[in-house]
Amino acid sequence: MTKSAGASGSEGLDTLGRSSGPASLILSSLADGAKHGYALTKDIESFAGVRLAPGTLYEALSRLEAHGLIEALESQDRRRPYQLTTAGATALSSYLQAQRQVAEVGLSRLATSWVLT
Amino acid sequence: MTTAGRAGHQPVAGRRADRLLRWYPRAWRTRYGDEFAELLGAEIAEQPRSFRRGVNVAASGVRSRLAQLGLTGHPVDQRAAAKARLSILIWCAAACGVLGAAMWSQLAVGRQWAAPAHPGVGLAFELMTGAMLAFALLGAMLLASASRVVLGAVRRRRASRLWLPVLLIVAGATVIFIGGRHFANAWPGTGGHLLAHQALIPAWLAAFCWASTMWITSYLAHPAALAAFPVGQLGWMAACPAAIGALITGAARLLRGVERSPGTLRFEKWLAGITAAGLLLLIGGALSWLISPGAGVMPAFHVGLIDKAAMLALVLLIGAGWQALRHGNLAGAPAGQ
Repeated sequence: MTKSAGASGSEGLDTLGRSSGPASLILSSLADGAKHGYALTKDIESFAGVRLAPGTLYEALSRLEAHGLIEALESQDRRRPYQLTTAGATALSSYLQAQRQVAEVGLSRLATSWVLT
Repeated sequence: MTTAGRAGHQPVAGRRADRLLRWYPRAWRTRYGDEFAELLGAEIAEQPRSFRRGVNVAASGVRSRLAQLGLTGHPVDQRAAAKARLSILIWCAAACGVLGAAMWSQLAVGRQWAAPAHPGVGLAFELMTGAMLAFALLGAMLLASASRVVLGAVRRRRASRLWLPVLLIVAGATVIFIGGRHFANAWPGTGGHLLAHQALIPAWLAAFCWASTMWITSYLAHPAALAAFPVGQLGWMAACPAAIGALITGAARLLRGVERSPGTLRFEKWLAGITAAGLLLLIGGALSWLISPGAGVMPAFHVGLIDKAAMLALVLLIGAGWQALRHGNLAGAPAGQ
């Protein structure tokens, strides 16, 4: 499934305050499809090695929803899934590109100045 | 909202999840309660005991409650948070006014008898008198606004929900007026004495404010000395804060019900400006008093532990009010929107 994310109307993750770290993990997890709370926790643990505590997870989910970066889907049971919105995909893309730039600069400087085993 | 125990997890896990959910405010539970209980149930089934999880949920729930009170960002119900924010501002301003009146009336009563020996105490008295004038103006503007709201509602025959707040305001004000007048006149050393007319502040006003705030006293820390007070005075010291509480509760309920139109918000900005000016004068005056050395000949100018505690309470109340203002306006929009 491929969707296009417009560049306009995006809101940076840095506006989410203390939730910006968990928010990037949640958005990354939702990038390949909708998930409910427990599935998010498990997925994030598998790809980032971080287990988000329930309070932290839902604090970030409510902020992301309030900022229009994710939306809740209808559910048959009590486990309500969330999916990325276009604004959320754009915000995640901007955030990850900035992170990649930082990572590339840091790695290249390390490579020229340090010999790490 | 259903309980987590019905979702297929073990009943114990469901009960624990429900207990953890209580940390969150009702608006949050209504929106996220079911799914959060489901997640908690799954987590508890996987790892029955976790101190870290309990602390995390408690901290997150407290933050959510503070947000719902309008004291931090991101409340689930913006309108409810705006109303709570207004209540907090009213209570903080009113509590500052009462504490300020207690400190000011002590100086005003002393000023009836002698000029302060230290200029810092004189400056404190003048600044705090300015603060009291600002608070009186604020009270008059609020009274005018509340009267307009009530009369408008009566004309539109929609006054039924206003009866309780109006009743609280009238009952509170009546008790304060009658009790304050009685105890102002009955207590030697306030305004009731013949010699007590040596300052610009009318003696009856100084004595009335003193009598209405006599329950803010360091005697509260000395129960044995307090027990020696006449029964009538002890009754008044218990009834007066209740009456003040009823008055503020009624005012807060009345103002919370007012529709927040652009005109109302402009009016509230005026009120906020007057309150800020009053608080600045009050803090300046209280500080000047507290750092002035010596009480001189007049014991009323002496800074007691209760005055230092009142100063601390003033700072905390102003901090809480500022925190509420920082996180959104009274129309329900979060800060920055």
